[in-house]
Amino acid sequence: MSDVVILGAGISGHTAALHLRRLLDKRHNVTVVSPNSHWNWIPSNIWVGVGEMTTRDVTFPLAPVYQRQGITFRQAKATAIHPQGDSTDARGAVDIESTDPATAGTTQRLRYDYLINATGPKLKFEATAGLGPTGHTLSVCTAQHATEAAEKLREVIAVLKTGRPQTLVIGMGHGTCTCQGAAFEYVFNVDHELREAGVRELAGVIYLTNEAALGDFGVDGMVFDQQGFLTTSELWTSSLFREREVQAIVGAHVEKVEAGLIHYETLDGAHHALPFDFAMLLPPFGGVPLTAYAADGRDISAELFSPAGFMKVDADYTPKPYEEWRGADWPTTYQAPGYSNVFAVGIAFAPPHQISRPRKTANGTVVAPAPPRTGMPSGVMGKTAALTIADRIKNGADAPAHTASMASMGAACVASAGAGLTNGSAAAMTMMPVVPDYSVFPTGRDTATTRGELGLHGHWVKLMLHYLFLYKAKALPGWQLIPE
Amino acid sequence: MNPEPTDQPLLDVSKAPLPTPKTLAQRQSLPFQFLRFLAFNVRIMRMVIRGHH
Ligand SMILES: Cc1cc2nc3c(=O)[nH]c(=O)nc-3n(C[C@H](O)[C@H](O)[C@H](O)COP(=O)(O)OP(=O)(O)OC[C@H]3O[C@@H](n4cnc5c(N)ncnc54)[C@H](O)[C@@H]3O)c2cc1C
Repeated sequence: MSDVVILGAGISGHTAALHLRRLLDKRHNVTVVSPNSHWNWIPSNIWVGVGEMTTRDVTFPLAPVYQRQGITFRQAKATAIHPQGDSTDARGAVDIESTDPATAGTTQRLRYDYLINATGPKLKFEATAGLGPTGHTLSVCTAQHATEAAEKLREVIAVLKTGRPQTLVIGMGHGTCTCQGAAFEYVFNVDHELREAGVRELAGVIYLTNEAALGDFGVDGMVFDQQGFLTTSELWTSSLFREREVQAIVGAHVEKVEAGLIHYETLDGAHHALPFDFAMLLPPFGGVPLTAYAADGRDISAELFSPAGFMKVDADYTPKPYEEWRGADWPTTYQAPGYSNVFAVGIAFAPPHQISRPRKTANGTVVAPAPPRTGMPSGVMGKTAALTIADRIKNGADAPAHTASMASMGAACVASAGAGLTNGSAAAMTMMPVVPDYSVFPTGRDTATTRGELGLHGHWVKLMLHYLFLYKAKALPGWQLIPE
Repeated sequence: MNPEPTDQPLLDVSKAPLPTPKTLAQRQSLPFQFLRFLAFNVRIMRMVIRGHH
């Protein structure tokens, strides 16, 4: 009998849990630890943030699904891991603290034979003074944040209807932010809502980003084959900004936010202050703080985690300049060095470096988009770790690991630009591989699959993914046939 | 004219290509978009089959 413990019930952790339960017979225990009682299809939070969907449309309670599947669910947050065991037991363990209202605050040590860390991002609003829902800006990272953003948007539209101009700023709240696709998607959804409300003429809409150029998306941009021409994602994205009259400020590091005023620095070293009436700025992501202890109780967090708090895996973390970055630097098995039974997947693993070229302003301030780890790769990593663990439980601890690298897998970013079955629109992008490989592809990526297209079909794709992934996450019949 | 502040380093996108009326119509045309929808799904499946290992 083996115990598998999964920390986090997001895209990667939940995928891993469902596959492990499918692959292992009932003698083995699969336990999921997650502080939230509900699963959230995060990509659709964008629609919650403009009032087109509600929290209920994008979340569902996890407990009934886990009960039906035979997965143990602990509504709790992990606080520490003991990968070498402790003085009483050589098996690895995690310390958890209940977040279930009935038992909130109680702690427990859970033993494991295999552990998957899929705790996702810590939303580091504190990195920029005044950023976030407790400061002066909004967020769409959680369904709750998105609901608040929708309420504020409604208020701003009401003011616009009285004839008073308003400035709406959407983008990245720090020079090291990732997830530009989400902010890009939100800005065009807001633009669409303003047009639908008939108030677009009075609204200034500004996309404020740490990307050095439009279309970078934290992946160093893309090259598309469009009607026989190699076109950059920069040109393609700029075209959409021009068409929709959305202004952009690039290469920006937000320094602090005061009520109605964003202070930021640009790559040329200049400092600016931007007045706003509505601001949705994403926070930078860090790893969820977990302390690691050796068997003798020594703090070994620095061995297991990167300075940003992400868990180290089988990547090449040797510091090297941008010109020497290779696809082979990226992890393939997601196994923690020195621990063949510990894995970190999704946003929780420490990337070897960025994908976009990191830059500094003339004053030395870092403006370096962090590498995105989007839904599709996160799901694939979760499944890969699950396959490895199932093999090792069935065939012995030295069974080879399954592999999936971001230097070979693709990703899709469907940025809806307005909802509506016949009048919606979206910028649908696919790229493969996520990490460019110039030794295989002259443009870094396969131009047959790396594409950007605008149109109504993108909205249908986004809607299809919404229903498909909610269906899959609920583990309804045939869920395993839906790819990650 | 939108009321953007003028004292900000706004990016100049005035040289970016604008879609023609035909392109705009194609982006909303149901039969054309249905074909693009199918093409997108083929592309995703190709990524799933070729890249996820
Ligand atoms: C607004 C927005 C829009 C996006 N849109 C897209 C999109 O269109 N397409 C796309 O591919 N990607 C999109 N993404 C990215 C996508 O959401 C992430 O790639 C994905 O959620 C990462 O999966 P994950 O499992 O690593 O983390 P998450 O899904 O964030 O899951 C982390 C889990 O860990 C839990 N947890 C946190 N702390 C602890 C702890 N201490 N102990 C135990 N559990 C813990 C959390 O409660 C959660 O259940 C978007 C992201 C945002 C914010």
